[in-house]
Amino acid sequence: MANRLFQSVIHQMRSTIDCTIGVLDSNFNIIACSDLGRIGENIDAQEFHTNIGSKSTIVNGYTVKALGNSDQLDYYAFVQGDDPLAEKYCSIIAISFTNIKFYYDEKYDRRNFIKNIILDNILPGDIYIKARELYFNSDETRSVILIRALDKNDVSIYDVVQNLFPDKNKDFVININETDVALVKEVKQDILSKDIENLASSIADTLSGEFYCHVVIGIGSTVENIKDLAKSFKEAQAALEVGKVFDTDKSIINYDNLGIARLIYQLPTTLCETYLSEVFKRGSIESLDQETLFTIQRFFENNLNVSETSRKLFVHRNTLVYRLDKIKKITGLDLREFDHAIIFKIALMVNKYLKANPIKY
Amino acid sequence: MASLSLRNVYKRYPGGVVAVSDFNLEIKDKEFIILVGPSGCGKSTTLRMVAGLEEISDGEVYIGDRLVNDVAPKDRDIAMVFQNYALYPHMSVFDNMAFGLKLRKVSKDEIKRRVEEAARILDIEHLLERKPKALSGGQRQRVALGRAIVREPKVFLLDEPLSNLDAKLRAQMRTEISKLHQRLGTTFIYVTHDQTEAMTMGTRIVVMKNGLIQQVDTPQKLYLEPCNLFVAGFIGSPQMNFIDGVILCENDTYYFEFGSEDTKTRAGVKYKIKLPASKNADDRLKEYIGKEIILGIRPEHVHNEPEIIAANPDSIVEADVEVTELMGAETYLYMNCEGQAINARVAPTSTARPGDKIKIAFEADNIHLFDKDTELTVTN
Repeated sequence: MANRLFQSVIHQMRSTIDCTIGVLDSNFNIIACSDLGRIGENIDAQEFHTNIGSKSTIVNGYTVKALGNSDQLDYYAFVQGDDPLAEKYCSIIAISFTNIKFYYDEKYDRRNFIKNIILDNILPGDIYIKARELYFNSDETRSVILIRALDKNDVSIYDVVQNLFPDKNKDFVININETDVALVKEVKQDILSKDIENLASSIADTLSGEFYCHVVIGIGSTVENIKDLAKSFKEAQAALEVGKVFDTDKSIINYDNLGIARLIYQLPTTLCETYLSEVFKRGSIESLDQETLFTIQRFFENNLNVSETSRKLFVHRNTLVYRLDKIKKITGLDLREFDHAIIFKIALMVNKYLKANPIKY
Repeated sequence: MASLSLRNVYKRYPGGVVAVSDFNLEIKDKEFIILVGPSGCGKSTTLRMVAGLEEISDGEVYIGDRLVNDVAPKDRDIAMVFQNYALYPHMSVFDNMAFGLKLRKVSKDEIKRRVEEAARILDIEHLLERKPKALSGGQRQRVALGRAIVREPKVFLLDEPLSNLDAKLRAQMRTEISKLHQRLGTTFIYVTHDQTEAMTMGTRIVVMKNGLIQQVDTPQKLYLEPCNLFVAGFIGSPQMNFIDGVILCENDTYYFEFGSEDTKTRAGVKYKIKLPASKNADDRLKEYIGKEIILGIRPEHVHNEPEIIAANPDSIVEADVEVTELMGAETYLYMNCEGQAINARVAPTSTARPGDKIKIAFEADNIHLFDKDTELTVTN
């Protein structure tokens, strides 16, 4: 769309300016030009790209100036020639194109549209009308990934994420508040949640590794219609909230993997306390040491399989059996039995929930 | 100087999970130290505490002489490389390496100097104009390393940087990273769950389990003198064989006895392995007489060659071959001896086949013994 807009303005300017003028994309390809035959040419300015910015630069006989002042430069205005007049023309053209682009983007701002959807600022009926207006495909599979900074940082998470996902037609990066940035990502229809987690993990790793930002990331479920993006966003938010209680050591929390944590998170605290006192009639959960709790956690992760757990824990099978017997002695629950195991698992989670100081009711 | 010191470091998460307990480690300047252990053992958490990405619950971390507990990550003079690095798809290699510096408002000339220097070190000068999609997996990995190098840090922290690469590329990048360490002459802390990576790259290895350091030593010492059952089992592939048995003493000679002889039917066989006198230094086996103990022996110290069997008459047992795996330069035999699994790494010319009952001999000098209750090494 921008190309056509630029071309239309250049067409009007052509008769006034007696030299070749045009617009380049970020790869220095001519996308609009007073000489139509040159559209698609490359002016071979890659080696100068670090120098070209808000000031005019002369490159291979062209005067080139970036549009806008942002860190991410999408377009450049150019004028053939390297004399002061060419520089003057270039500056004027750059100013007018920057403004035209700004007003165009504002009117047809797809990101703003997505922001309104996820924040429920648009009526459901208007979503489709606006989507049609913006030539927006409503039925693509998308997922909302919510990135939350845990500490203050000089670097803008928004800028980094925007540069990781630069395709502005498919991926939308939205500043939610001071700490949260949402990424609405178009994904393949058959994408696995593991793949989305890997993607989130690469965002977290890039932010920590490159910019020392400590973040947690919540992932909403994938949705197939644009109107469901608000639901996916709320799920990503819920994942971060529930994860704060149950997955304190994790930085990537997927709503789809919250399981019973989601349920426990909504239980009245009095009910939770009653449940704990009923389960641990013989001895309290506090009587289990760290090593034992760690063993239990691994035993659950390995689907109550003694051999597999002992292998993962690098302990002898008999050592694990001995530990499980000890737990049975203390709590009266034999974790090798499914019913006992599930009681214990829920009790552990309820205990974690109560320790997180929820509102008592 | 970029020595590191971690003193009584703990990491406790809300809800009671203790990820790291009483971690003490002195890392010398220019050392290549590896933190290794199974997933969930606290190695990445330790690294993130050094980086400042995780708060330290207790203890002190020094980089050089400076206490950095409350120093922001960006001011710690460190650089990190993670497993799931992402490159900026629309930027050239040059810009990918320069982006972090640009956001930190480093001057253009300085950025150019640093990127070109890093590219030279990594041998990717010819790729600077390319976009990430035109790079191979190994080249992308080098760009990720380049992004860390341009920061010119005192300490490099690498968290499983090779886990996403295929086996062949991983082996190649292992060498590259070792060379890089030599070229840069800075301190490297490298986290991995892969004991092969740990053994091949590190000057010293820290083996962790359940948030606790098990042993800190050179690769060779860890392999030959593990301090406990966990380290013995974790380091080495295929894993060390562990056999449950008891210690006997006859005429001042110590034996390890194992087997499944039924006291009523006399079915099954009991084997007695004679232990060399060196295994009983300081009379340490005396307290174990009649007690259960675990014998450990590495697969390469179990032999089926007739001449070795003849030379070790006091450590011969019979085992049923269950599976054989020809690896090219060697063959792995997976056997069962009176209910105990024994693996052997033998010559590729071995004719043993599944279903065979063969004689095998243990190299008695390379036997390790572990206390069954404490799991600590009794003798190496």
